[in-house]
Amino acid sequence: MAGTAVLGRLTTGWQVAEAVDVVEETPRVRTVVLSAPGWPGHRAGQHLDVRLTAPDGYQAQRSYSIASPPGEPPAITVEWLEDGEVSPYLVGELRAGDRIEIRGPIGGWFVWEPALGGPLILVGGGSGVVPLMAMARLRAAERSDVPARLLLSSRSWEDVIYRDELAALADGPDGLEVVHTLTRSQPEGWSGYARRVDESLLREVAWPAEARAQAFVCGPTAFVETVASGLVALGYPPERVKTERFGATG
Amino acid sequence: MTARTEELRLDGNALGGALLELLGPEGTATVGTCGSCGARGELALLVVYVRCPGIVGRCPVCDEVLVRVVESPDRTWVTLAGLRTLELPRT
Repeated sequence: MAGTAVLGRLTTGWQVAEAVDVVEETPRVRTVVLSAPGWPGHRAGQHLDVRLTAPDGYQAQRSYSIASPPGEPPAITVEWLEDGEVSPYLVGELRAGDRIEIRGPIGGWFVWEPALGGPLILVGGGSGVVPLMAMARLRAAERSDVPARLLLSSRSWEDVIYRDELAALADGPDGLEVVHTLTRSQPEGWSGYARRVDESLLREVAWPAEARAQAFVCGPTAFVETVASGLVALGYPPERVKTERFGATG
Repeated sequence: MTARTEELRLDGNALGGALLELLGPEGTATVGTCGSCGARGELALLVVYVRCPGIVGRCPVCDEVLVRVVESPDRTWVTLAGLRTLELPRT
């Protein structure tokens, strides 16, 4: 589908959205800010579906988490996946002013708002940080003092999505606590974690079970399942560990 | 299970779009009961395979097929035959 996408016949639930801004987050990841006139508003943690139609009518659709907090236009952060059908277009081809089809917002379970309380432990693998970022942005926008900690696993420092904004969110007395682990390569002098997230790392970073924390975990399937079972092993009740897996098809 | 299959194993959050018209935007929070083993929980907890073609949702406890959805150009085909009940919130 690279290079061209036309608008298909609109069917129920789908609407046309215009890309109004494209932001480079890392060399492989971009955020696309959308203008969607019929957008009803969304909650932190929800996703939307994107559908592309080729000139010959072939359609491909994928789900993307919404990165922007409630009250702002929907923005999706997309990672370029080799051999993908949709992500190479969204990351490599799409320009401001282009139009795509979307439907959403979607999801009523993997969502958080300050009234649901905390403390919060957010655990993201790579672009799994996206729905967690919507939660962190909402927490900051509402000046919530719910204690919140983000553990983010990235391949390298260059691959950390929202790196500068995360540093800014960590500022201040009620700031988000941000803990990075870099699994593939680390900058010179790196003193942080440099290994995959597992039960022992969670034991060091996550709130103890007695804190009755609420966990949100998002990433590739294997990552999510390792983290979720690690948190349960630490004593988190399964119903306090909300998970969202994403696939390797982009 | 091959690595390829594992990559395509997702969860019930991935059912939300296909069931949007049936259950509304927050449909993944809908609580269902497995017709086979009686496990009860939100649809978000199902084990979901995408691109089968279509989407298949299985019980996370007993692996029974509970939900199948196929989106065609002019309609969405849904079978919930594996579910004993679906609890639709009245708001």
